[in-house]
Amino acid sequence: MDTRAKWLSLLLATALLAVAQAACAAEPPPADPDAKCLKCHSKKLKKMLGDGETMFLQINGEEFGQSVHSVIGCTGCHRDVAKSKHPSRAPVASRREYSLKHNQTCSQCHAAKQAEYQDSVHARMVAGGSDTAPLCSDCHSSHSIQARAAYEPVSGEPCSTCHQEIYQAYEQSVHGQARSKGNVIREAHVRAPICSDCHQAHQTTAVAASGYLRDTCLDCHDGAAVAHEQWLPNAGMHLTSVACAACHSPMAERRVDLQLYDNLEQAPVSQQSETGAPFEQQLNAIDPAGDGLDPVELWKLVRQGSRDGQPVDVTLRGRLEVTTGVDAHRIAPSTEAVRSCESCHQGGAEGFENVTVSISRPDGRKERFEADQKVLNSVVSVDSVGDFYLPGGTRIRLLDGLLLLALVGGLAVPVGHMALGRIIRRKKGKQ
Amino acid sequence: MTTIEMTRMEWTTTAMNQEHIQPRHERVYLHPLPVRIWHWLNALGFLVLIVTGFQIRYVDLMGLMSFETAVQLHNWVGLAVVANWFLWFIYYLFSERATNYHPDLNPKSFFQRYFLQAVYYGWGYFHGAERPHKVRPSDKFNPLQKLTYQFIMFISAPLTFLTGLMMWDVQRFQGLIDLAGGLRVVNTVHVVMFILFVMFVLVHVYMGFLGKKPSSHYKEMVTGYEEPHE
Repeated sequence: MDTRAKWLSLLLATALLAVAQAACAAEPPPADPDAKCLKCHSKKLKKMLGDGETMFLQINGEEFGQSVHSVIGCTGCHRDVAKSKHPSRAPVASRREYSLKHNQTCSQCHAAKQAEYQDSVHARMVAGGSDTAPLCSDCHSSHSIQARAAYEPVSGEPCSTCHQEIYQAYEQSVHGQARSKGNVIREAHVRAPICSDCHQAHQTTAVAASGYLRDTCLDCHDGAAVAHEQWLPNAGMHLTSVACAACHSPMAERRVDLQLYDNLEQAPVSQQSETGAPFEQQLNAIDPAGDGLDPVELWKLVRQGSRDGQPVDVTLRGRLEVTTGVDAHRIAPSTEAVRSCESCHQGGAEGFENVTVSISRPDGRKERFEADQKVLNSVVSVDSVGDFYLPGGTRIRLLDGLLLLALVGGLAVPVGHMALGRIIRRKKGKQ
Repeated sequence: MTTIEMTRMEWTTTAMNQEHIQPRHERVYLHPLPVRIWHWLNALGFLVLIVTGFQIRYVDLMGLMSFETAVQLHNWVGLAVVANWFLWFIYYLFSERATNYHPDLNPKSFFQRYFLQAVYYGWGYFHGAERPHKVRPSDKFNPLQKLTYQFIMFISAPLTFLTGLMMWDVQRFQGLIDLAGGLRVVNTVHVVMFILFVMFVLVHVYMGFLGKKPSSHYKEMVTGYEEPHE
């Protein structure tokens, strides 16, 4: 190729490149849909709600950009927003109603978590009409959703938002202390639990109503059952009938809860549905004075459950537990746990001064009703409180009387016989 | 003439003629060695079980030992007494002396003799009357003793062992406990038996002094031979 041809080819290539560059520069860059939303929602928009409150519609674009949901953008969740219908003029009754409406949105991506949540005490409370039970956005926030790792530090968030007192108790506990000191207990490196380790993050259970929590304790303290067997008679029964916190939260106030249990259903008796007579009515009929169930009233309650025409076989399942959820979280180091048997196994022990009878609420939590402490010591309770007995602690008073009678009688026989002999001998002497 | 009057007359006559009764020189071997070993082991066991039983039940009133020690002692000694009961049972099962525990097949005669024995303790004993029951190796218990020991050994002791065993390991025996009507029923039976044992031991120890001499029955339970009735 001669020099002229080379120059022509170079000129042509340069021209083509220039045309191509011009063509590219003419095409506009792809639009950011979130930017479109934020164009309005970065401003102080607000909406008046049906309950008179104001809902602010301003979104912090920077925070949203840092959230894990920034990758799916606004329409990832707000799929119902159509350009033609937005902004919507539809009235919104309250913030709660708005949140409830959007609670299902999460399940579009997080179906498994949503299913767990639906089985939780929180969801059951929501279903029961609670205005305070948490929805997804109450724990995860609406637009500043963080990765799971962000919840790891001992911040208590989000649980402490509602359970502040409990969280403070946890902070002071052996678990909270270990967590705050870098997971160290007695110079051993352990992973001390945070809220979700015991209560689960989404399938949050009403722990006091089940044996779930005990099993959770034993999940980490896998040697505990065997360790208790080394020194504690009937260790298995103790682990079933005594809440872990009743001994391991030594400063806690304790009580005995007698839970009504349906033997046929193999489940705790629950509050009757709207069609049946509420449990409270049944209770009021048995205890019209409302001064707490006495032994006879408790017996009637258990018997009534068995005789109202339905095939039910009701018993009471007793359990020693701490009085408040706050106390349940004040777990002390094991060296400070209650180890003295006498703290329970004696007449007038503190734990037996408070007695409640409970049924299961639809949300899984317990509904408790006061009972007279005499129900633990009455001979009438032999049947109704048949499975809860502590030697010494809940002894039957009538048997104390019989024992005293036996002692007196046992001593009266020799004394009486000797006295009789003396009288006869004296009489014979006179003759 | 009523039975009581007849009995009184008979004993008065016996007492008056007592000096003519020939002393028995032949000593009767009443309590074979296995029975004596069983008896004294049982006595020791009962004593420990009663003391620890009181301690377990009345921690707020007694402080002989800790609750934990009392429970451990009660459990182990209880198991030893159960084993001891089986030794007694097996011995009598294969011994011709088992007749001591055989029930009287004539209830009318039995209760007449039962009544005579009771009257003896309340009247004849103080008048030096002869014992209405003639002790023999094959029939060493008077009707009062026989009924008491039958109840103790065949009803009271097994019931106490069974209920004690259930409470010793509640979870292992949960099925049996449910069958019995619950832990509280089981405990109530155990405590009622405990009450009976307490009364029995008190009366038993006193009755032991009602031999010819106060020490006679105690010596018999050591040597095995009936003490001479001079």
